[in-house]
Amino acid sequence: MKKEAGLRAHIVNEFSFFWAIPAFIWQIMFFYVPLFFLIIISFMHSTDWSSWNQITLEHYVGFGRPMFAYIMLRSLLLAVVNAIICVLLAYPIAYYLSLCAFRWKNLLLFFLVLPFWTNFLVQVYAWFFVLERYGLVNSLLVYFGLISEPLSLLYTPFAVYLVMMYCYIPFAIMPIYSILEKFDRRLLEASSDLGATFWQTFWRVTLPLSASGIRTSFFMIFITSFGEFVIPDLMGGGKQMYAGTLISHYFLVERNFNVGAAYTVLAGVVLLVSVAIFNALFKRMFKNLRNGS
Amino acid sequence: MMGIRFMRRLVLPTFVASMYFFLYIPIAVLVVFSFNDSLFPFVWKGATLHWYKELWQMAEVWQAMRNSLIVAFSSVVLSLLLGLLTVYYSSRIFLSRFFPIFYGNLGAPEVVLAVGLLSFFVLFSVPLGLTTLIAAHTLIGLGYVIPMLHGRFSELDYGLIESSLDLGATHNQTFFRIIVPLMSPALMASGLLVFVVSLDDFIVSFFCTGATTQTLPLYIFAMIRSGATPVVNALSTLLLVISSILVLLFSVLKVKKMDVL
Repeated sequence: MKKEAGLRAHIVNEFSFFWAIPAFIWQIMFFYVPLFFLIIISFMHSTDWSSWNQITLEHYVGFGRPMFAYIMLRSLLLAVVNAIICVLLAYPIAYYLSLCAFRWKNLLLFFLVLPFWTNFLVQVYAWFFVLERYGLVNSLLVYFGLISEPLSLLYTPFAVYLVMMYCYIPFAIMPIYSILEKFDRRLLEASSDLGATFWQTFWRVTLPLSASGIRTSFFMIFITSFGEFVIPDLMGGGKQMYAGTLISHYFLVERNFNVGAAYTVLAGVVLLVSVAIFNALFKRMFKNLRNGS
Repeated sequence: MMGIRFMRRLVLPTFVASMYFFLYIPIAVLVVFSFNDSLFPFVWKGATLHWYKELWQMAEVWQAMRNSLIVAFSSVVLSLLLGLLTVYYSSRIFLSRFFPIFYGNLGAPEVVLAVGLLSFFVLFSVPLGLTTLIAAHTLIGLGYVIPMLHGRFSELDYGLIESSLDLGATHNQTFFRIIVPLMSPALMASGLLVFVVSLDDFIVSFFCTGATTQTLPLYIFAMIRSGATPVVNALSTLLLVISSILVLLFSVLKVKKMDVL
């Protein structure tokens, strides 16, 4: 009897992997197949199936225009600067939360996670009240007599960079925090006992050991902010185009999917190449750091 | 020179406090102005609940809220179901080695995912609406659910499953009586996360809905663009309250999970 049940369980086990398949099908159908078709469309004359045999490069002419290069450079600059600033500001916060805060830790973590769970548009919208012509910053500056006329802060690249940083910082803190959380505190004590100063400990012990968290944070923010289009649109007033706004312009305003797909493919290639370059730089940097130079 | 104590007791706390101040100043201003008795949002003219009343009477907002909730609930249920089945049934075979294919959902820029889905739907003339939204949000949800459930599942004692099978339980019985209860903290936590992500999602929703279907973030976006009134502040404040409750719930669940371990 028992043997029979065991056999049955075994047989069920042999076939039950079918239940594992639906999620894979979902993933392939809604992630990989659409990406594949995006590439196909960029080479098709129109989105009409009848033109499937007319392979063309006409939608890629934008590649040669200086406008495209400017947009890519602008987006890369935004992504790199945003990622660097976020990591630089996030590191001390993650360090404090994981290694110094004890009593208030849970409360601080709660307030850190809250913006992450808050509607993204609400966060962006909140900045209107701070940066507006008669908003918080201008009111304070005028009140203290630092300026006589309100500054126009909204719809400038400054506003874009500031709000990008604001919205992405929580994402930068988490990966670094989870690495430092597992950090063996005795290493810090040992280093200090052996006479190292705070900064020596930091450069020789803490930083090299948290390199993987920094890397995760950097690339997460770099990749996601490269394609960002809500903040450049709302905070920049749509004055300057970034990769995300360029793509959404062709898909939603011009309704020209072929050109939009071509730009998406091109932007994707630019992104992948730059990720590869930064990855190589990272490896080199941390190798030097570990060697103690 | 700067000592360790000086850094830890003074410099770091000051820096962290100022960063928290920076994180919460805009939100505080937003909440305060939702009670402002003035149509012009940047001048304070006394407290009122007028904007909340007006929000209450806006049928479109509640319609958008309803759509958002339908999409969020469906994508939570679907992604948990697909995720749990996959994690459980591929645990002992080679399939779990392919889980990294799900990581792309969170790794790729959302715009790329959104335009990919849009052209896919348009190319095959799938009508855009709630169904396409649910499909897209379930996809994003899988990116969260599968790593989280897989992490929890690999921590489970496989002996429990084996002894359940040895004692004559079928695979189905084992699944519902052993696996689901043991996985429930992870299921709740990842389900809550997918719920919030779906409720919050703007970019994919922006591309993958038709002209007629509004979700809450899309409605807020349209309101901000067409010139905001304090009603947006009232709505935002309401959403803030909801997300704080959800975060509290999430942290309670996480604490429970620690107890189980």
